[in-house]
Amino acid sequence: MSFEEISHTADVKIRARAPTLEALFSETFKALMQVMYGATRRGGILREIRIESPDNESLLADFLSEVLFVSEVEGLVFLSARISINGSRLTAELTGEPFDHVRHCGGSEVKGISYSGLSITHDANGYMLDIIFDV
Amino acid sequence: MLEGVNRIGVHEWEIPVGYVAGMRVPGRIFLSESLGRTLEPGAVQQLANVATLPGILKHSLAMPDIHWGYGFPIGGVAAFSVDEGVISPGGVGFDINCGVRLLTTPLQEKDVSGRRDLIEELFRAVPTGVGAKSALKVSSRSLEGMMAKGAQWAVGAGYGVERDLRRCEEGGFMKAADSRTVSDKAKQRGIPQGGTLGSGNHFLEVQVVREIFDPDAAKAFGLTLGQVCCMIHCGSRGLGHQICTDHLKTLESATKKYHITIPDRQLACAPITSPEGMAYFSAMAAAANYAWANRQMITHTTRQVLSKMFKVEYDEMPLMYDVAHNVAKMEEHVVDGTRMKVCVHRKGATRSFGPGAADLPTDLSSIGQPVIIPGSMGTSSFILRGTRTAMERTFGSTCHGAGRIMSRTQAKKMKSGREIVANLLKEGIIVRAHSENAIADEAPEVYKSSDEVVNVVHEVGISRLVARLSPLGVIKG
Repeated sequence: MSFEEISHTADVKIRARAPTLEALFSETFKALMQVMYGATRRGGILREIRIESPDNESLLADFLSEVLFVSEVEGLVFLSARISINGSRLTAELTGEPFDHVRHCGGSEVKGISYSGLSITHDANGYMLDIIFDV
Repeated sequence: MLEGVNRIGVHEWEIPVGYVAGMRVPGRIFLSESLGRTLEPGAVQQLANVATLPGILKHSLAMPDIHWGYGFPIGGVAAFSVDEGVISPGGVGFDINCGVRLLTTPLQEKDVSGRRDLIEELFRAVPTGVGAKSALKVSSRSLEGMMAKGAQWAVGAGYGVERDLRRCEEGGFMKAADSRTVSDKAKQRGIPQGGTLGSGNHFLEVQVVREIFDPDAAKAFGLTLGQVCCMIHCGSRGLGHQICTDHLKTLESATKKYHITIPDRQLACAPITSPEGMAYFSAMAAAANYAWANRQMITHTTRQVLSKMFKVEYDEMPLMYDVAHNVAKMEEHVVDGTRMKVCVHRKGATRSFGPGAADLPTDLSSIGQPVIIPGSMGTSSFILRGTRTAMERTFGSTCHGAGRIMSRTQAKKMKSGREIVANLLKEGIIVRAHSENAIADEAPEVYKSSDEVVNVVHEVGISRLVARLSPLGVIKG
């Protein structure tokens, strides 16, 4: 399981790989948090997100958009997520902490999750995706 | 130049119909040969994708600051027939009415040069960066006011003077706004962020007028050599981001409902006159108004800081102008000899209305609209004026900035934030941000030269140079 930032002129492009769809979503979620708040994040406060969307790409974009909303209005920075996907339904259990001006100020605010260039592929090695975060 | 892009003029290039399947009109890019070397295939593809949308008129246009975005390219402009065309959040972006304004002052360079205390005081007074919340308390009733009346609400609430409104595009608010099309989630995000700058490329910069190219226009705009000005660059914050996210979803269903074929999901759209299209337009207008109110609130805070520190009266700091960079507007333009109402999408582009155009303040009617082009951190910004050529050729539009040429990953490998701050200080420019990371992301080298970008629009004639400003200090998110 891993994610990396790929060169993109204007925004942040992430490439993630994982053996399962759930793990792929979890990695992309961690990438989003790292871009926004840096690598020093802790768990403790729990939140649950439930999403229903027609395809995997929409499910991921809607999930991450909901994370942006919760993180901003509740002032929470998340460490990780446990995700389960059942067809068109996703449930994510997030663990995080309150935003800390000292540890979390090094990132870039993500304005939105773009569908441009968003593709989830699957082969014998597992799942892979490219996604662009608008910063 | 990239294969398939044909030169048709000194600074003009065409993407012929057929570059991607389904193009209805050609693409047209205004670009110098040397800027052409940084043109990305992804940006050209996006420009061609826009040309496939129903009802597009004349050309899918790109300004010289074109670069790879999502949906439309950054620097993209397209006008659509109101009867047959579509409206798309991909042509506006997540940061609805990200825009820029220039506040003039009676101060001279010698008054503020090297004054770190001024930059520190602005940094303290204007909330910036990730997680920033406003010190100005916005109630849910005030939020309704911000969305309905934009800068006009802000002036009514004491954050400015009546004259400011005459110096804003659209008088500081779009009448089409309807907060019933804005979700509760968007409103929740909007309340704590009124009067905050945000992060990324948003900034508040103290600048000095270094050069004047057009003395008559500069005089009309209230600019004099050596004068200190403040440039404010920000948008509609989380409220606008959420409105884009929400309506993108609705419009994706609408794209299928109206049997529209799109080459990129981010170009989800609906007929302008459809309920879905009109709902997006009303919500987008509400976000645009929020952004105008937001910039007005930051202006108020800036004026307060300058008043206190330099004993300058509040009304001695007139607003030169305020322009939107990311917006869709209903405007009248002449298409093939006929005057018609069209929906102009500007995604990283500035309105550039020429002399005599509607919506210009009467005292600027013979000059043209002020156009504000921020440079990258540490480099010159420019003031231009709108032209009749822009009305004829680009639906009254010009460039919006320097345009990135380097990714954030490349930028971070080049120089640390600390090095950049030290280098800029040697040039007399004080930089203040919450994190070094934010500074490294926005290093001057990651952008095209703003001089070269504005020279192209000046030479093509879609806006004309008035003045150049150089930075003295900047606060960033």
